[in-house]
Amino acid sequence: MNSRDRLQLVLQHKQADKIPLDLGSTPTTGMHVSSVYKLRQALQLDPPGTPVRVFEPYQMLGEIQPDLIEALGVDVVGLAGPRNFFGYANADWKSWKLFDGTPVLVPNLFNTVPEPDGSILMFPEGNRSAPPSARMPKNGFYFDSLPRVMLPEQYPLNVEENLEEFKPITEEDLLHYAHESERLFTQTDKAIVANFGGTAFGDIALVPAPWLKYPRGIRNIEDWYMSTVTRKEYIYKIFERQCEVALDNLARLFQAIGNRISVVFMSGTDFGMQSGSFISPKMYRDLYKPFQKTLNDWVHQNTTWKCFIHSCGSIINLMPDMIEAGFDIFNPVQTSAAGMLPRELKMRFGNQVTFWGGGVDPQQTLSFGTPDSVYAQVKDRMEIFGQNGGFVFNTCHNVQAGITAENLVALYQAVKDFRTYRIN
Amino acid sequence: MREDRKGKANHMDDTLHGIYQAILNGSSSEVIAWVEKALKAGLSPKMILDQGMASAMAEAGRLFEMNEFYVPELLVTAHAMQTGLGLLKPHLVEARVKPMGRIAIGTVTGDLHDIGKNLVGMMLEGAGFEILDLGVNVPPEKFLEVVDSVDAIALSALLTTTMPAMRSVIDALNDSEKRDHVKVFVGGAPVTEAFAKSIGADGYAPDASQAVNMIKACMP
Repeated sequence: MNSRDRLQLVLQHKQADKIPLDLGSTPTTGMHVSSVYKLRQALQLDPPGTPVRVFEPYQMLGEIQPDLIEALGVDVVGLAGPRNFFGYANADWKSWKLFDGTPVLVPNLFNTVPEPDGSILMFPEGNRSAPPSARMPKNGFYFDSLPRVMLPEQYPLNVEENLEEFKPITEEDLLHYAHESERLFTQTDKAIVANFGGTAFGDIALVPAPWLKYPRGIRNIEDWYMSTVTRKEYIYKIFERQCEVALDNLARLFQAIGNRISVVFMSGTDFGMQSGSFISPKMYRDLYKPFQKTLNDWVHQNTTWKCFIHSCGSIINLMPDMIEAGFDIFNPVQTSAAGMLPRELKMRFGNQVTFWGGGVDPQQTLSFGTPDSVYAQVKDRMEIFGQNGGFVFNTCHNVQAGITAENLVALYQAVKDFRTYRIN
Repeated sequence: MREDRKGKANHMDDTLHGIYQAILNGSSSEVIAWVEKALKAGLSPKMILDQGMASAMAEAGRLFEMNEFYVPELLVTAHAMQTGLGLLKPHLVEARVKPMGRIAIGTVTGDLHDIGKNLVGMMLEGAGFEILDLGVNVPPEKFLEVVDSVDAIALSALLTTTMPAMRSVIDALNDSEKRDHVKVFVGGAPVTEAFAKSIGADGYAPDASQAVNMIKACMP
């Protein structure tokens, strides 16, 4: 059974030969470049000092190359956009070093400027004449968006300002998706997850738009969250217009790539935090659900794609509504958040949705546990979530920086040891 | 935005109730108007703080714990309260109203995330504490610099890679023999009660509302 068939069966809630494995197909199922380096070294894929490419420079995720995919038995690959989070292509690689000394390769436009306190600044489109859009603190591992738009009390808001990034897809970008999907479909037997963008409503990581040179409108995180209460009509209008554009784009993308992809990453908006949902179920129903449902319905009516939602944190109180909105796949299944108990999740929702994550907790076990505890947790999670399909193995969110090579090896050893379904 | 909660505060003077309700409504302009009215009417700054603002923020915290308020509503409420507090502060100083305690708050070194820290800071201010906000990416030395002027230090972290920096702050306090001068409180997504204990912190809370109650209970 090849990887694509394996994923298809599992998404239909049937047991395949093995539990499918994802690593790196989306910006929320990857691995920090320093951990990719450690893992590649531990598996002896590279001589010491061989740099790894940074494929997603905001979270500093490393490239999962074909040799690592084969070594681990990864079943899924990502169909990425033509530009990264900072608005430039992942091309023309150059050498760079993380603060901890890890050798990496970064795109040529990964242009940084040091600050007096030792932190470094990043620029939209790599253009150092524009205001910096993100900062990595000294000794840090990730970038965070910088506030660039201050919202005065009486600012005359124009919804167009928050729609700059939601435009009809260009012919050039359509061609990119068409060629890339064809390449992945014909040259690999992996299932493909598409990351088109533009379909997530109010994703707080995207609101500051670190790829835009001069963003306008509501762009600061706190301003945005408060506006969902105090300027609800404005936010609704943004979503309404965004939804119209996204529907047209999805139709054109489908024309270009057809059903070569198995899954489409529809939403990365975080609705949960550690202790509960970020927003009320009522706000979810009023503001987000109608638009998500419109897009997911279109996908289901016109394609064979499955709709993927990523939301960190505790979302168990929102999940019934999210399922009604048409999401087929849930990620990252943050089992360390309140109420997100693996057995309960599988029991309540396991027949309706696929859990894509939840394999091991990177907040505690993977980051601070022993290799034995990592191995044991992976075994446990595979037994719980793996029953009757509906499970793709991934950690609960990206594998972070600062994890020991021993824990990384224990993680994938356990996946290898327990992913095969016993024949009933 | 929200129904009148007068029933819960019917013992209040109308002006104080106006402040209370305006905060829960999240209306900064109404809060300003009511605080001005209260000051003009000669109400004591302490009474305005305690019965108008602190009681509104306590109610906001209660509503948060009852799942009636969520983070966006809590942020709106806290910002409205802060606007009023900005107006009241000079009067509190003039009347020599002593804060419940002075707390330095910051996100630890290597971490730039501040929503949780800001919310806790505002909620503590609303409860009557004076807050010294040291910002984000705060190294242990910076906490040491202020340790003699505060009663407590509150540390925030979002990342698994920066959470260990909380221990560095406590180690630095121990090394400088100033650990006994202050209480140390910790919070943030990956932080747990067990971690807080393991690094020798005095308190931990899982969210902003519970942080206020925990800190109130811990402070003399």
